[in-house]
Amino acid sequence: MGSELVGDSLPHRGGGSMDSTALSYTEVFYNHLPYYLAIGMPNDLFWNGDCRLTESYRKAYEIKRKQLNQELWLQGMYFYEALCDASPLLQPFAKKPKPLPYPSEPYAITIKKEEIEEKQRRQEQLKYEKAKAKMASWAVKTNAQLAVRAGKEVNDGQHH
Amino acid sequence: MAKTITFNFEGTEYTLEFTRASVATLEKQGFNINDIADKPLTTLPALFAGAFIAHHRFVKREVIDRIFEKITNKKDLVMKLAEMYNETIESLVDEPEESEGKLEWVASW
Repeated sequence: MGSELVGDSLPHRGGGSMDSTALSYTEVFYNHLPYYLAIGMPNDLFWNGDCRLTESYRKAYEIKRKQLNQELWLQGMYFYEALCDASPLLQPFAKKPKPLPYPSEPYAITIKKEEIEEKQRRQEQLKYEKAKAKMASWAVKTNAQLAVRAGKEVNDGQHH
Repeated sequence: MAKTITFNFEGTEYTLEFTRASVATLEKQGFNINDIADKPLTTLPALFAGAFIAHHRFVKREVIDRIFEKITNKKDLVMKLAEMYNETIESLVDEPEESEGKLEWVASW
């Protein structure tokens, strides 16, 4: 977009001869100035700075636009997933509609080995904690049952 | 980095460069790059002097003219100065990407 915007207003490209209606360089600069101000280039830098900085500003703007596009796309993904997760609630004839839980973590947008490993480690830790809790509750329950049973046996022995 | 020309004259380091402001100043003084072919005797020294505006604004014109007189390989210098001058406008637009339908050209020299 940036290149098209700035490209269209340049009067001569490809080495044609300038005619009387051609703009002076100064006029061309003034024509382009608003665009560069809009993409964040300071006025002083445009006029007095390294003239090739405009290229860097254009590239930086392009990167910013790509990032914004990526963020909007990601937001759309989250909306889509939220809708899909909640969709069971939207079924009119379902008896006990149960929505799916929304993801507990954001999507991994950077593929770093350490991040993946950390995520796996956390998931395994969570699994382990769950299993541990389950085992502990089972042990408590079993112990209680054993205690009850043992108590019963003691009582029975005393009766006999 | 913008194109620059550097040299040493009487113990002082000079860096010649065109910024958009210096091009605008030159044009305000009546300079027109298209006059290079028609009026080289007046245009070339003016173009050379204009390259001092960015970094050596307060150097006197007599000094600049003395430097210009002593400078060698003027033909190449003019070419380089013109390139530097044009860079201020060329850097405002992207080069069209090479693709089908684009006209390619070749110079004979």
